[in-house]
Amino acid sequence: MTPDLRCYGDDIHSLAELVPDFDLRSPMDVQTWYAREWQAIAETLGFAQQLAAAPRAVPTSEDRITAMTYTGLTAFEHALRAGRPGVTEAQARVQSAVIQAMTAAGLARGELWRVTADPTTLATGACYPEGNRSMRAFYPDTAPGYFGDGWPGPPPRAESACGWQTPLVLHLGTFPWVYSARLGDVGPGARWASPAMQPAIEGLHVVASLMDPATNLRQDARQVTAIYRHFAAHTAPLVARLPGFQAGRATAGQLYQRGRFLYAHQGSLHVAALDGPRGRLAASAYNYILRRFASFFAVRRATLRALTTLPAEVQRRAATSPDPCLRQQVEGVARAS
Amino acid sequence: MSRGIWVALGATASIGGALLYSRRASAASSAPSNAGPAEQTPPVIELAALPRAADVTGDLSRNWGETPVDLRPLFMLIEETARIPGSARVFAGVAYHESHFVTTAHNGNATGEQDEREGSRNAYANSKDRNPPLRYGDQAAEFGSGGLFGALAPYFLWTGVPEIGKKAPLLNAAPTLVFQPRAAAFGAAVYMQRLLSEYRVDDVPDIKAGWANPGLLKKGRGGKKYQEVRTRFLEDVKALGIDLADVDTIPAKLDASAWPGVPAVFAGLVGALPKELS
Repeated sequence: MTPDLRCYGDDIHSLAELVPDFDLRSPMDVQTWYAREWQAIAETLGFAQQLAAAPRAVPTSEDRITAMTYTGLTAFEHALRAGRPGVTEAQARVQSAVIQAMTAAGLARGELWRVTADPTTLATGACYPEGNRSMRAFYPDTAPGYFGDGWPGPPPRAESACGWQTPLVLHLGTFPWVYSARLGDVGPGARWASPAMQPAIEGLHVVASLMDPATNLRQDARQVTAIYRHFAAHTAPLVARLPGFQAGRATAGQLYQRGRFLYAHQGSLHVAALDGPRGRLAASAYNYILRRFASFFAVRRATLRALTTLPAEVQRRAATSPDPCLRQQVEGVARAS
Repeated sequence: MSRGIWVALGATASIGGALLYSRRASAASSAPSNAGPAEQTPPVIELAALPRAADVTGDLSRNWGETPVDLRPLFMLIEETARIPGSARVFAGVAYHESHFVTTAHNGNATGEQDEREGSRNAYANSKDRNPPLRYGDQAAEFGSGGLFGALAPYFLWTGVPEIGKKAPLLNAAPTLVFQPRAAAFGAAVYMQRLLSEYRVDDVPDIKAGWANPGLLKKGRGGKKYQEVRTRFLEDVKALGIDLADVDTIPAKLDASAWPGVPAVFAGLVGALPKELS
């Protein structure tokens, strides 16, 4: 049985088609699919060399995805350590604690893709010391952007030591492009590294987790769908202005549509960008973000297809999900098996 | 850069047919322009795409600052092909200044860039009698400068002439080839090697001074312009986030003694051109 993602809408079904389909029960499929995804992530984020150099153990079929996640995150860590620190130790420490707290809560709520919190309820208040001042550890991302129309409230319940007046919102599903704005060629989350701590690894861990079948099923796909639709609605007019790529007839330096992705002919995808009312969006960021959405639903489809082979606890969670589409699909799988 | 300097550059260039580079190209100009009267319509040339991380062995993570991730392999490929250790990040610094990493940056197609076009006209007029003919010489003369490294079109097309004469690989190419990053890289590699082997280059900022005008490494050394170019380069690499003092990635002095020759560098960076151009 091939699970039908049309329950979420035809656009979501098409979205999943942007990356190859695969069978979770096939070790070769799994190896190929996840290796390709990690390669795509690494090339955009600049750790392809570290990924290629990572030792490849031969994992058992059960832990193949976990092994590749470990390899990918380790490669990312090596690249982070080789690069320039982007934040102070104090900021990194707070970022790390905040991300851990928010992802734990997000996972429990089935909302890991976009995590939100009242910053004053977090242990550090999402503030860190810099000299004798208290600074926000993250950007207050509440203006209308490519992932949403902004989050004006509710305001923090307590007074913030560092001036938080809005919720703290992080789009970890598209890490390192974690804010609805600031979608330049380097995702803001990629700078979350100090000499001793790399909160960025925790950010990329969320991306990896959403490709893990069990965590993927725990994520409420309706949240992902809503954010994707917002992103698509605000980028579609910008992408529509671009010509379609035709091999042999392309102009150097021109940005093209190639399939649903962008292609800079004889140029840098990190330099090319879409400019719209919601700000500048680097072509590399666009491709990466679109692929993250597509990968999420491709994993969801593959996971549903292999649902009966997954642990009983995973199946139970899926069957009792607040997402009616997921429950419906689980029932379909049960009927077919 | 003033017209007067370009005239002087032309004279300097004529000594060895040296490739000379423009001031920073306009990053806003991202499409090739029509470059004056065409001898004939140039054939479309498609060089290989940008190299990827797997195509190089050198480090692509440390001390690159904000250099775009997908251009780092190109800069490293230049270093590895030209065998000039530590040059990759210097090329990145030069490209940041010259083009802001826009591969099709072009000086000469805007009203305010008349100097640049006059520069290429003078370069062509002053040097065409001393160099092999360019198939698209008139277009090159009208082109101005461009590409990742801000190459002045006639000198770009004459790249390799001092070394291999009429076998120089770009004599039959159109100036718009400079918009293809592998071709621009070839020109930059040859020019870097020439600066390092034929001029006194005391440190990395001297390379940028020579990039602007080789005369600054001779009579102009120590002068106001020399200092200005060096200072601006230091500001550029700082803004880019590259640390020139990181000797693990950039030696204090670059060394081109292992240069493998123009044909090998062309083969390594560009490959083969279509038969009609060779």
